[in-house]
Amino acid sequence: MVNLTIDGKQVTVSKTATIYEAACEAGVHIPVLCYAKKLMPYGACRVCLVEVEQMKGRLIPACTTPVTEGMVVTSTSDEIVKVRKTVLEFLLVNHVVDCPVCDKGGECDLQDLTYEYEVVSNRFEGEKFDLPTDEVNPLIERNMNRCVLCGKCARVCDEIVGYGSYSFINRGFETKIATAFDRGLNCEFCGQCVSMCPVGAILPRPFKFKARPWQLKEIDSVCGYCGNGCTVTLGTKDNKVETIRFNDKTGVNDGNLCVRGRFGYSFINSEDRLTKPLIRENGSLVETSWDKALARVADGLKQSGSETGIVTGARLTNEELFLLRNVAKALGSENIDHSGGECYKGLTEGLQQTLGLQASTATFPQVENCDAILSIRSDFYETHPVFGMVVNQAVRRNDAKLTVIADKRGKFTKLPEAKTLLHKPGLEVNLINAMCRVLLDEGLAKTERLSGVDELKAALADYAPETVAETTGVSVDAIRTAARELAAAENAAILLAYGLPYTAASKELGIAAANLSLLTGIAGRTGSGLYVCGEKNNSQGAIDLAVMPGATGLGAQQMLSAAAQGQLKALYVVGEDMVSSYPDRKAVELALDKVPFLVVQDLFLSPTAQMADVVLPAASFAEKDGTFTNAERRIQRVRAAVPSPGDARTDFNILSDVLSAFGAQAPATAAEAFAQLTADTAAYQGISLDMLGAQGYVWGTDILTPITRNLVAVAGSKPLDAAHQLLVGSALYHSGTMSTHAKGPMAVVSEPYIEFGREDAKALNVAEGDLVKLSADGEIIEAKAKVDNRLPQGVLFAPYHFSALGLNKIYRGQPAIAVQVGK
Amino acid sequence: MAESAEKLKILICQGTGGLASGAAQVAEAFETEFEKQGVEASIGKRCAVIGTGCRGLCANDVLVDVCIPGKEAVTYDFVTPELVPQIVQDHILGEGPIEKKKAGPYYEKFLEKQQRIIFSRCGTIDAESLDEFLEHRGFEGIRKAVTMKPSEVIEEVKKSGLRGRGGGGFPTGMKWSFCAATPGESKYLICNADEGDPGAFMDRSILEGDPYGLIEGLMIGAYAIGCKFAYVYVRAEYPLAIKRLQMAIDTCYEKGFLGKNCLGLGFDLDMRIKAGAGAFVCGEETALMASIEGHRGMSRPRPPFPAVRGLWGKPTNINNVETFANVSYIFYNGADWFNAIGTEGTKGTKIFALTGKVKHTGLVEVPAGTTIKEVIYDVCGGIENNRKFKAVQAGGPSGGCLPSNAIETEVDYDSLIKAGAMMGSGGLVVMDETTCMVDIARFFLQFTRVESCGKCIPCRIGLKIMLEILERITEGKGQEGDIELLQDMAYDIKKSSLCGLGQTAPNPVLSTIRYFRDEYETHIKEGECPSHSCKPLLHFRVIEDKCKKCGLCPRVCPVDAIEWEKGKVAYIDLEKCTKCTSCYDACRFMAID
Repeated sequence: MVNLTIDGKQVTVSKTATIYEAACEAGVHIPVLCYAKKLMPYGACRVCLVEVEQMKGRLIPACTTPVTEGMVVTSTSDEIVKVRKTVLEFLLVNHVVDCPVCDKGGECDLQDLTYEYEVVSNRFEGEKFDLPTDEVNPLIERNMNRCVLCGKCARVCDEIVGYGSYSFINRGFETKIATAFDRGLNCEFCGQCVSMCPVGAILPRPFKFKARPWQLKEIDSVCGYCGNGCTVTLGTKDNKVETIRFNDKTGVNDGNLCVRGRFGYSFINSEDRLTKPLIRENGSLVETSWDKALARVADGLKQSGSETGIVTGARLTNEELFLLRNVAKALGSENIDHSGGECYKGLTEGLQQTLGLQASTATFPQVENCDAILSIRSDFYETHPVFGMVVNQAVRRNDAKLTVIADKRGKFTKLPEAKTLLHKPGLEVNLINAMCRVLLDEGLAKTERLSGVDELKAALADYAPETVAETTGVSVDAIRTAARELAAAENAAILLAYGLPYTAASKELGIAAANLSLLTGIAGRTGSGLYVCGEKNNSQGAIDLAVMPGATGLGAQQMLSAAAQGQLKALYVVGEDMVSSYPDRKAVELALDKVPFLVVQDLFLSPTAQMADVVLPAASFAEKDGTFTNAERRIQRVRAAVPSPGDARTDFNILSDVLSAFGAQAPATAAEAFAQLTADTAAYQGISLDMLGAQGYVWGTDILTPITRNLVAVAGSKPLDAAHQLLVGSALYHSGTMSTHAKGPMAVVSEPYIEFGREDAKALNVAEGDLVKLSADGEIIEAKAKVDNRLPQGVLFAPYHFSALGLNKIYRGQPAIAVQVGK
Repeated sequence: MAESAEKLKILICQGTGGLASGAAQVAEAFETEFEKQGVEASIGKRCAVIGTGCRGLCANDVLVDVCIPGKEAVTYDFVTPELVPQIVQDHILGEGPIEKKKAGPYYEKFLEKQQRIIFSRCGTIDAESLDEFLEHRGFEGIRKAVTMKPSEVIEEVKKSGLRGRGGGGFPTGMKWSFCAATPGESKYLICNADEGDPGAFMDRSILEGDPYGLIEGLMIGAYAIGCKFAYVYVRAEYPLAIKRLQMAIDTCYEKGFLGKNCLGLGFDLDMRIKAGAGAFVCGEETALMASIEGHRGMSRPRPPFPAVRGLWGKPTNINNVETFANVSYIFYNGADWFNAIGTEGTKGTKIFALTGKVKHTGLVEVPAGTTIKEVIYDVCGGIENNRKFKAVQAGGPSGGCLPSNAIETEVDYDSLIKAGAMMGSGGLVVMDETTCMVDIARFFLQFTRVESCGKCIPCRIGLKIMLEILERITEGKGQEGDIELLQDMAYDIKKSSLCGLGQTAPNPVLSTIRYFRDEYETHIKEGECPSHSCKPLLHFRVIEDKCKKCGLCPRVCPVDAIEWEKGKVAYIDLEKCTKCTSCYDACRFMAID
């Protein structure tokens, strides 16, 4: 710690602190413009200049200068004020000062500083900027005439996002922020630049002319898309969510968001939202009242009783999931499941068998300080972008060694010095087995306290790096290096995401990853962690609350089979579009067709809902109170910001009513439900709502210690023998099927596509935008082609979010699908 | 040694200046002539035509030394290929030097007050020859340095009193000790050869004339600090320097002088050239490092200083070319020898690049303590066309203008700063009475305004506004209060800019206002440019009393605006005049106003 004096106040701060940070601590106000807490010191704007007694004769930038013992700082003097004012005068000479029509007006740093320093006139004169505005993309508008060149956009895009969209170009006064070749912005549209811009130079286009900042009501909640669990502060006006505000004070995300979180909110306001309950009469769905709809539901479910199946997505709050489980109980049914029932088994069965856990062992922010990171699948960035940004920071700021086990290239594989083990599809387990084998062979494995070492050794006989190298197409050296780096690192992380498009070998992959985490000592070690992350915002909550089949119950897939065979009397689908997103669409449709009574509760009239007997209009995350548990076990509060459209109700209310109809007791409020569910869930015991502060509450503490340390042998796969193999997965711009109702993500990726590598595209004579057909097992899907250089030869990719593509007609949970390509 | 002593040597300046004046053709002419005349056979000696580095008197290129064994070397200047047969015929084969073509007494005078230490190999040895370098004490310095502990090497440099020649004048030994003291396995050594000041070219001459000497200086620095990798950051506008240095580095690698176990002395050093991309600001050390890292050349805040966190976050030491060149000689001759040269505060010699209105433009190396006056008048022959000296800009765009009453200032870091200029890298731009000081300030500001990296606000916007005010003044549109406004903003820009560029860019304005305020006032109040340099303010006329009726002005006028008949005073037709100043510049009698 270092002691210093600022304006006569004594402060003690960490020796890595800057003068500015020390001043904040001391409650001394120093103006800043280019400073941002999460970015590296920059020192461009010069408004934070202060005097330091030990450095007489010049002015010292407070935001970049580290504190030293005994420093005596003066934050304001006549000279300082004069220089700051001159700097502001300089800025205002060329700035367009179009505050009346600037969306930043009212929360603009330049405006505030001008006001603070009373720059009422300007001694200088000069030309105003007259640069064209970049309005090429639908999400981010760049008006460089308002730019103060603080560089925050370029810095955040580089340091945090790792995309590198922006750079300074030209010199001197002509310097400006530009994209490559000064073209329109075309990036991943996470909008971090929007959030960092201190003036109105970079603005969210969907928010233009919607509201003045002071007219907005701000409500902190949790993003309703992925398992990252980012804080989103909803900016609402007249009961409508108009924008997502920047907030780096709460939550796990440090103010960072992805395109979905920042621009994907508009599904809340969608015209297509269900506003009234629907009931099937004479073959078609017609609007009805809640009373009638609920009565029909209660009747139907009562009749089916224990032969009812309940399936949910993982987007409901913990409280709602708790109620849903109670509904199952009330019906005497153990047939309850979520998210297709298969994809999460790496966690529930894989990690359970090895570590005795069903959750990630550490928290996201720790990864920034990791020395080595292994990402299983390059898609991790696509499924969990903001956690991906933490990985980027670890790599860029702390030189973490990143290895990606990947069937295709992606954002991660492009990070500085990232090593990519680019393998043939479906062979992740083989590679992890080989890495385990290297650790054991080379004596790098930390085998004390582990059970099953000998069995694993024996089972790994077939996974010598040389053999696996041959099967997978990855070099022996790369496998060895990856294993050694992971073992040598003091702090290391293994990342694995799961979700509906990643169903294949889910359990095996979870076990393999857990084996690796045990052999390297990563599981349970402070600073290290095994992260198995769910695709949806409350995937972890669903597992924590055991929204899974009971001992005699059926899982989602078995329910569908049972329904198809006429053995299930009713199916209650809550917040899930099974037809669009579950593997094997034909089978799902058959099951839903066959099941005598189908209730669907959703925001939209999805293809699943269209088959229902009763459709109940539900509420989005922005309309309800409750909690989500993210993929690092962080329980965070979700808060209602706007009322639901029409007669739509929260799942909580609907489920309460259903429970009441059965004569079961339902908690009156979400808070009451939380109290009940924590009492009922071992891991949540003792947690109360008031413990969920600004950063939420991580159950089981930051590091979750494995309960068992069993190594379990698990077999890899054989490569698929087909000239063209289709991979199914997530795209960065979408999450599940919900984002396809949001304007933001749809503005960037509006339709399904089939992605080709350049070599394949050339060989198949396919150009970007061509309509291509893929056939497999007699089924054909058709979409426009997208051509880039991510995919190895013979490998194709299609995102699973778009119902219209019918991808799940050929996707039945395989690791890769053998397809024929035609036009 | 013996073999070369017997050779007849033709030394031809083949620096960029020499080559531009046709040195390559002259060398070829000598080769051809020797062949044609069978010179080797006639005189019974081997003849060698050697390309050397720059010898300083660039104004008189091509300079050729004819060294006949046993006789004193004879220097010819303004040599053209046409002159070569005569030199061979009359001088080498005939009775002796051609007196008429020899460099005049000014050449001896040019050399007299100089003390050419750093330049001792420039202009005397073949710059590209490792053997010649080795014959001239090459690598003696590093061989001596490795007999000492690294800390003793640093002490020796401290003892010598060497200060950084890049401009700041920070004690070199102390700088080395900072980087040496920072813990860390990998450290970098950088040689800053991004010489960007207008009118400065001393580093280029060293790179072109004595590349091995620079490598040796870097070796000593690397050994002392513990660096295993050295970068030489050379501006891309110096292709010959890059070529010669690369050749020298390659040769050193081939011979095992660089790389693992350098010279067999038990230390490792890799060396690489990084060519700049044309940005002046990359001469600033943090911007230079950003550039090496592949980033846009923009300054970074200090602290952390490079010695703590420099290139790629590792401890880094940066010195200028001339500094490293000095280091070699300190180890040839000892710190005490070096310390005995110069003044109290500035030890050793300093190289200056003289340009502008001085007779003998070129490079001079003088011991610290020599006055500017001596440099301009004694070494470089005074002002061109015998005009009156007005000022000298010392230190490039970061320095200041010194008027005639400050010309006795000694070449010394502290004296120059006291006088309102700075040593800078050593550029001296000499101005005579025809130079407008407002225009000079405008010129330098135009340069810094364009070269600002654009990162910090005062430099990016402030300099542009200053420039616009200066432009306004030189166009006769100056306003009351402009001078005060300029001074005021100059002060704020200096105080608030991020790096050396912005912190010093207003200096030319401040120093010209300090010494030539009246010129500013005349521009503003009377709309006149006293030096007749600011075009919009010009209205030429012939001063009848002064006109000698020589008829030179009508001959130089490109638009036939001057009427003249033999024996009559010239007359300028202002309708036709385009204010090109050709007549004004050409008149030797200051008869055009």
